Amino acid sequence: MNMVLADWSIDGATAMHAWAIATAATVAAACALVGTLLVVRRMSLLGDAIGHAVLPGIAVAVLVGGRPGSPLVFAAAVATGLLTVWLTRLVRSAGGLADDAGTGVVFTTLFALGVVIVTAAASRVDIDPSCLLYGILELVPFDTVSIGGVEVPRGFVSAAIVLAVLAAAAIATWKLQVFTAFDADAARAAGVPVAAVTGGLLAATALATVAGFEVVGAVLVVAMLVVPAAAAELLVRRLHHMALVAMVLAIVGACLGYLAAWRWNASAAGMIAVVLGIEYAAAVVLAPDDGLVARGLGRLRYAWRVLCEDRLAAVWRAEEKGTAAAVPVSLVQRLAVGWLWLTGRFVGPAGRLALSPAGRREAEMVVRSHRLWEAWLGQHAQLPLDHLHPPAEWVEHHLGAAMRQRIEAEVGGIGDPHGSEIPPEA
Amino acid sequence: MTPTGCLAVVPALTHNTLVVAAGVAAVGCAAGVVGSLSLLRKRPLIGDAAAHSTLVGVATAFVLTGRRDLPTLLTGALVAAVAGLATLVLVRRFTRTRDDAATAIVIGVGFGLGIALLSGITARGLPGSAGLEQFLLGHTAALTARDAVVLGIVSVATVTVVLLGLKEATLVAFDADFAAATGWPVGLIDQALVTLVAVRVVVGLPAAGAVRVTALVVSPPVAARQWTDRVPTLLVLGGVFGLVAAVAGVAVSAVVPRMPTGPLVVLSAAAICIVSLVIAPRRGWLARRRQRIAFEPPRS
Repeated sequence: MNMVLADWSIDGATAMHAWAIATAATVAAACALVGTLLVVRRMSLLGDAIGHAVLPGIAVAVLVGGRPGSPLVFAAAVATGLLTVWLTRLVRSAGGLADDAGTGVVFTTLFALGVVIVTAAASRVDIDPSCLLYGILELVPFDTVSIGGVEVPRGFVSAAIVLAVLAAAAIATWKLQVFTAFDADAARAAGVPVAAVTGGLLAATALATVAGFEVVGAVLVVAMLVVPAAAAELLVRRLHHMALVAMVLAIVGACLGYLAAWRWNASAAGMIAVVLGIEYAAAVVLAPDDGLVARGLGRLRYAWRVLCEDRLAAVWRAEEKGTAAAVPVSLVQRLAVGWLWLTGRFVGPAGRLALSPAGRREAEMVVRSHRLWEAWLGQHAQLPLDHLHPPAEWVEHHLGAAMRQRIEAEVGGIGDPHGSEIPPEA
Repeated sequence: MTPTGCLAVVPALTHNTLVVAAGVAAVGCAAGVVGSLSLLRKRPLIGDAAAHSTLVGVATAFVLTGRRDLPTLLTGALVAAVAGLATLVLVRRFTRTRDDAATAIVIGVGFGLGIALLSGITARGLPGSAGLEQFLLGHTAALTARDAVVLGIVSVATVTVVLLGLKEATLVAFDADFAAATGWPVGLIDQALVTLVAVRVVVGLPAAGAVRVTALVVSPPVAARQWTDRVPTLLVLGGVFGLVAAVAGVAVSAVVPRMPTGPLVVLSAAAICIVSLVIAPRRGWLARRRQRIAFEPPRS
């Protein structure tokens, strides 16, 4: 075992953890980059399939003399990953199956084959299948290579190379990938080599999966590939923004997950996946446009506006008739009145509220919208008089000044069907 | 094999192997039947999501009860599997996230949480925690006669439920919109199917482990689909293929030393699947090839 960076001023254990975190973050960023394209192309489960299916490839490579972690084993794993993709398509086309079914058959079979090979050659192949599932992030800093006199973990080196290659490929071919992802037929018609672009994505997936597989294990690669990308998709709209946000989320998740695992003495790979899951959940709740909070607030804001406008209009109508305004009955109605008083649209002491000039203008526009809509419905929809009010009650909150002008032009300046006057535009 | 070699094998086949074979056969058969339905519903990989969620339940059940007998752990696993699939349904319902990404999220995060919990339990050295992670890979050979009875009863029960609800399930599988329009509770029927898959996966855990139980729900139905276009035949064939794969896997692992049963069951199922894909009449590769040749004009 090499002591890593023993000559650093920080102590060895801290350096080890720093290396492990750096490795996890690098792998996570590479996976998130590829995952962005996988998610928008509905190929999210490909990583799951490849992550399991590379086991026999690794087992055979180790059997013929490759050292775990060596380029030979890495290449064998990537090759097996591509083989998996090819087999999946073969099974799918041979069986006329849904994509998922072909994937399910192929990766479970290859994984089982891998376990059998590992078990049969247990004396010569030192692979622990559960290790391949869990990953061995905590052990990454112990297996080092010397680069320019500095001992660097092998896992970090391979992850950094993979990230650099993938980032370069992504920058070089981004437009083609985006075109193919959103409209493969149009891309083909425009002369984009769609098969090559897709093949490149599959190869990138195999690379990222194998790099991640060594660090966090087979199943958790799925989390790194898909979860940050899915979270980013909820947060932003443009694809390159999505890729960048996904990479940031992945890096943050890797760091926090590792620290959490350290704090609570649990598997780092597991905790990273949990933190990524929390990030996704947070995106579901807090996303600016689509988040549950944003949608809930939007509905609340709308309900509140309707409530306030109805109060203003009720007082205005009471003034018009010369009667007392309807006293608010429910708690929310009282709240709305209080709010309107605070914001200066009602004036006067409690119990004898009157509209302020601003409140009057607002109320007139609501009543104007209401009566214009009644007039329009009365002319065009042939509804009986007593059926005009409910739809207008709803529409009055949705008409703008321009729409009111058009309706007024069409109904021709007559009063509303119940004989009331329509207030003029402010 | 020498006669003495044969004699050495026979005692090994007597008790434990027979028990295991019976349990795994029941599991394989029922998984094939339920899997056929979820294949028809075009959701073959929900079993995978359920399987990967179960670890959380196993770990939680152990922490809460301190027991590690099969019924306790399986109950925990079942609750977790249903919760995982419910999460899947919620994500589909309330977010823009696509189906496949939602499945992958449940698989990855559910499994990660399970691993984090299990590793935490192991690191704290709670009494009896050693070997809990065996659930991950399955340890068929350690099944007891009582376990096998439990597996058998649950398997019979799930097949019975499938037979009782076959008409409804078929309707939803083939035309969910029509079913909804004619007043069938599609959501409820889907939920029932999902729960059945969760039960199958959980019952399959001790036999095959979390990772390979997916194969039991996917491969036999895919094989069966090649041979028939009729739903009842599909279910029967799915069940038979699952049963044959299970028995073959157990038998081979009993004869070949040190071979794990779970992977062999999966490989048997895969072999049936491959053979079916190649030689099945009409849908098989050979049949379609022959058909193509028959239609091509003879080359001069």
